[in-house]
Amino acid sequence: MSTQTSQTIQFPYKRTLGPVIGRFFSELTALRIVGIRCGDRVVVPPMEYDPQTGEQLAEHYVEVGPAGTVVSWTWVPEPGPHHPLDRPFAYALVKLDGADTNLLHVLDTGGEDTVSTGMRVAPRWRAEPVGRIDDIEAFVPGETPEGPTAGEPADVRTMEFFSTITYTDVLSPTLERYAASMRAGVITGQRCPRCDRVFLGRGYCSVDALRLGPEHEEALPDHGVVSNYTIVTPTPYPGQKETEPFARASVVLHGDEMVVSQQQIIGVPVADIRVGMRVKAQWFPEAERNAAEISSKGWGTVAGFIEGWVPTGEPDEPAEQFMDRVF
Amino acid sequence: MAHEPVAVVGIGQTKHKKRRDDLSIAGLVREAAQRALDDARLTWTDIDAVVIGKAPDIFEGVMKPELYLADALGGAGKPVFRVHTAGSVGGSTAIVASHLVSSRVHTRVLAVAWEKQSEGNAQFGLGGGKSGSIGAGGAFAPWIRAYIRKSGAPEHIGWQIAVKDRQNALRNPYAHLHLKDISVEKVRESPMMWDPLHFLESCPSSDGAGAIVLTDKAGGLAAAADGRPPAWVLGTSMRSEPSSFNGRDPIRPQAGVDCAWDVYRQAGITDPRREIDVAELYVPFSWYEPMWLEGHDLAPVGEGWKMVDRGETAFDGSFPVNPSGGVLSSNPIGASGMLRFLEAALQVRGAAGEHQVDGARVALAQAYGAAAQYFAMWAVGSEPPSG
Repeated sequence: MSTQTSQTIQFPYKRTLGPVIGRFFSELTALRIVGIRCGDRVVVPPMEYDPQTGEQLAEHYVEVGPAGTVVSWTWVPEPGPHHPLDRPFAYALVKLDGADTNLLHVLDTGGEDTVSTGMRVAPRWRAEPVGRIDDIEAFVPGETPEGPTAGEPADVRTMEFFSTITYTDVLSPTLERYAASMRAGVITGQRCPRCDRVFLGRGYCSVDALRLGPEHEEALPDHGVVSNYTIVTPTPYPGQKETEPFARASVVLHGDEMVVSQQQIIGVPVADIRVGMRVKAQWFPEAERNAAEISSKGWGTVAGFIEGWVPTGEPDEPAEQFMDRVF
Repeated sequence: MAHEPVAVVGIGQTKHKKRRDDLSIAGLVREAAQRALDDARLTWTDIDAVVIGKAPDIFEGVMKPELYLADALGGAGKPVFRVHTAGSVGGSTAIVASHLVSSRVHTRVLAVAWEKQSEGNAQFGLGGGKSGSIGAGGAFAPWIRAYIRKSGAPEHIGWQIAVKDRQNALRNPYAHLHLKDISVEKVRESPMMWDPLHFLESCPSSDGAGAIVLTDKAGGLAAAADGRPPAWVLGTSMRSEPSSFNGRDPIRPQAGVDCAWDVYRQAGITDPRREIDVAELYVPFSWYEPMWLEGHDLAPVGEGWKMVDRGETAFDGSFPVNPSGGVLSSNPIGASGMLRFLEAALQVRGAAGEHQVDGARVALAQAYGAAAQYFAMWAVGSEPPSG
């Protein structure tokens, strides 16, 4: 059975709209849709540059719609969580009255049998428009817009939005074996038969480009030497948990073999971390070990299995021998 | 078959700032590209192909931005390429564009590189979207510690470079940082961000773009005859190596050494320290100046910092490095490599204004990326390549 791991990342981006797109969104807050004149055509939404010639367009705005004609459409029978409506709907190309281009938007008609090319539609506006494309909740059949009455336009220059992505990985056979070994509390590396270097969960030698399989595996010690480190003063970003300076150290396992990067040193103040300090792994209890941090995009990681590294109290190793080893 | 000589006939860049809130992303790349076209006295329709470079899409949250930007870069009906080689991407973009000309696939190519850091967060992006990101500074700080310890350099070297590049930036109207009262004391006393790197030894986060127009020998000669001397490409090279293996020298990566010597060989350079007049090196953290001086054999191993200490890399020194102010003064990541490459071209055209180095006839530009593992370099000159 293959192991799947899943990771979700999310961040609020802040889009700078510029004068042309900014104007389009500003007008939406007053329930108006504007295009821009491009030669003898009216382009909606407005573009900053003529897509044919590349020339900058003069800011000659033209109000279009609000009603328009469906040019083409596709039905979405089972909306998912990322869709704009929670009931079946159509994505449609709507040619707004006075426009020469089609606007891609949402069509809310109730049923597939009520949609047809050439049908007349009008916007249903959000109760309190904020200057985004979904100020138009959907287009609905008919000639008359639905929703609030128009107020003064807001000056919209930026747009904030969360971007979220979830990755699902199926672990390679190499990482499967690596994860199983780590669950049992043993770090397993693979030794290249040509250069004699050891790699962690990589499945190949980075230097000789040879495939490394089960026959090249060997147990590695779970103690080593701090080869180098940095103390990071956190610069805040959404989702970050660290608020105080934190250390990340590289640990070279057993003399001069594999380096494990970005590790926490446990039990000592960050100021006491030194190159050459001898440390040993502090494993999570067996029941808590998990492979969630292993991904097919990277190599073996010890995250989820080893909490950090504790100084052994033995005399330091000579720093110069190790300090180049960081990743 | 001999390669077509390549001439840089147009150069453009934006005013780099913490936040260009007056422009969309498309508007940002256009500002640089339009300036490059104007400089080349060409129009959008004169361009045969467009090469776009930028760093990870996660920085602004626009996936495959080259698709969205094709309209803004006059790309309709033309080949449009996207290049991505981490921090070296701006340099790689210029090189890919130059190869389209040198291989005679296209005659006039526009290369554009950009980043709008204010729309997202580079630390978040570099950390793979997780908490606890060490960022670029955290990644390079341990190697800087190793360089300092191995070379025996005094700690003021880093502060001195931080001051030098910011003072150079005062001559460059496009630079992001204009720190008029920068001093060694201020750098030393600025907060420790990534031990042993201080805040003022680190690059800023910038919005910005750079662009160049490249053309063939006939186009370059025509520009020269018109009183607009081009920069001639004398050599280009890209090299990479794995980030992590036992025995890697991260202070003087072999890929960087090989990349430099590949450029020197093409350019007919045998003594780079003597034959190159000015260099734009990718120095996002102060200590990378001596590291790259050694890494590209511009100084003997262990002695790059001595060149710095003697003032040789200062604006009026015998080997000026980063007269533009460098990455330490402007860092729109995807564009930062392009800015090095276009500054080198400006210098040999004699068009660098107040940051013009007297007598610059051969200039070296370098960019590096990821775990100091991707390298892009070119040498440009005021005379066409011989042969």
